[in-house]
Amino acid sequence: MKFIFFHLMPWTHITEHGKDWPVANKYLVPEQGTDFYRNYIDEMAYAEGFDLIGCNEHHFSPYGLMANPNLIAAALTQRTSRAKIAVFGNLVPLNNPIRIAEEYAMLDVMSGGRLVAGFMRGIPHEYVAYNVDPSESWGRLHEATQLIIKAWTEPEPFGWEGEYYQFRSISIWPRPRQQPHPPILMSASNAESAEFAARHHAKMGIVLLTSLPGARDNIEIYKKTARAAGWEPTPDDILIGQHMCICETDDEARAYLQEGCDYFYGVLGGGVRTAANLVLKESRFYENAQRRAAVSQRRRDLAAEKIDDAIAKGAVLCGSPETVVKQIKRIHGELGNGVFNITMKVGNIPDAVVRRGMELFKERVLPEVRHL
Amino acid sequence: MNFSVRDVSLSTGPVHYLVAGSGPPILYLHSAGGVRLTQPIQELAKTFTVHVPTFPGFDGTPRHEAVASMPALADLTAEFMGTQTSAPCDVIGHSFGGWVAMWLAVRHPGKVDHLVLETPAGLLPEGKGGLSKDPDVLRRQLYAHPERLPPDTKPMEVVTANRAMLAHYHRGPHMDQALAAELGKISCLTLVLAGALDGVIPPVTGRLLKARLPHCYLTYVHDAAHNIEVDQPDFFSRVVGDFLAWGEGFLVKRQARA
Repeated sequence: MKFIFFHLMPWTHITEHGKDWPVANKYLVPEQGTDFYRNYIDEMAYAEGFDLIGCNEHHFSPYGLMANPNLIAAALTQRTSRAKIAVFGNLVPLNNPIRIAEEYAMLDVMSGGRLVAGFMRGIPHEYVAYNVDPSESWGRLHEATQLIIKAWTEPEPFGWEGEYYQFRSISIWPRPRQQPHPPILMSASNAESAEFAARHHAKMGIVLLTSLPGARDNIEIYKKTARAAGWEPTPDDILIGQHMCICETDDEARAYLQEGCDYFYGVLGGGVRTAANLVLKESRFYENAQRRAAVSQRRRDLAAEKIDDAIAKGAVLCGSPETVVKQIKRIHGELGNGVFNITMKVGNIPDAVVRRGMELFKERVLPEVRHL
Repeated sequence: MNFSVRDVSLSTGPVHYLVAGSGPPILYLHSAGGVRLTQPIQELAKTFTVHVPTFPGFDGTPRHEAVASMPALADLTAEFMGTQTSAPCDVIGHSFGGWVAMWLAVRHPGKVDHLVLETPAGLLPEGKGGLSKDPDVLRRQLYAHPERLPPDTKPMEVVTANRAMLAHYHRGPHMDQALAAELGKISCLTLVLAGALDGVIPPVTGRLLKARLPHCYLTYVHDAAHNIEVDQPDFFSRVVGDFLAWGEGFLVKRQARA
């Protein structure tokens, strides 16, 4: 079993439960931001012992301060030596695909071949931020994926003539260290994206587990589509994302995670939900109305969910080390995943609690579940 | 655009051809499927005088017994150009036509200005690419979007006879070693178009050309198989139009041409 230490880098000095989007940046104090970045990068570097360390990309909100995850990943290449670096950006449809190919290749070379390259579609509000038609998201992702792989693997200069992208002569420097190219990770949080990931021979990531039956369905769709495309996924190809809080006692962990989630969904996520609902209403980001309604409902449910309920349905890992070991075994037993993508800095959970939780994980959880 | 149907008498026999448009001449050399006037060829006739000869033996035309090799077919094409177009002129060759066009540029370098090789045949390493005998597989090799094919009026016996002409002009492996050895002599500015989904011509062929031709650009066309003109006519017209208009300057982005 492998574990990713994933970080959102939330801004935790904001207190208002606003719903406006984008969130006014007057709430950010740049001088404090310097300390935030230093502390968060330290926290991520401290996660060596996990198998991977994860960055991500979000825009225009205190939800996450990684507008460009490659900058943080670059810092990690110099602060770590063993853990792989998983980038849960780049939001491929929103960015220049050649720039993505170049920066990922740089990260792979700088890290000594430790990059796991995320090809993410992004969540709806990012499309408003970067002024890209959300209805083009799948088409752009599909074309850009092929273009980036070409840019990584073509030894001769080449051009690309497509629907969304035209480049007349490409030859990126450097090219990636991993051959033929770094492993690719795609989001697979719904049936459509699970099929897409399998067709592109990518690892599947359920970025945030919300229901075991839903995840099981997506994994089956992913496996079935992969087999039809001529390849067989292994447990290593299946990532399950979960919030995790480990303390000495179950009660302590529940209290911290409840407070962190309330802050995460209530304060940090309010503006994001507003923009997401607008995109879902005004575009074909999701193909059908039923899917759009389900996504909106899920977002509302998550915001209102109590930790005890989330624990009971297997959606979060929370408790003492012994409790968390049981929870990990349960999820793995039900889903057969080979990788957990863990967020420990949930909302405003204090960094000291996060650090202590990391220690408890390394000392008392990992030895019990490594063999799974 | 209406193409006129004409014949010309050459040293080894008659050659059937189509012509349309006005402006500088351009030569279009067809694939082993025979002549098909696709949307991009029609559009070329808005700015060029487009000449489309039918290689002897294709589309029901008589063979020329004296023309039974790729170099000989290139020589006949050069003779055709001498009667129809001022030299040098731009040349587009698709698949089999691209193979002929490469021999033309090797043996008659003064006759070719810009050269466009669309999924060119003749340079397949052993065990890679080629035409499948399974009709369903073959269709996927040729077209990413078969639904975009215009209604094909060619009878099956003509299609079969066209394919049989490949053996008339070239016997032996799919890698034309004689041509491969001469590629460095192609001095004209060349654009190689590869279908990103081409099941007939593998990527290694494009790379070989890019590495061997002295002045060559290689472009992959997204969501296109072997017949780029059918799968992605607009992409084809955009990149070929820019290349023919600006030469190497096609690298530089500019406002869309009128």
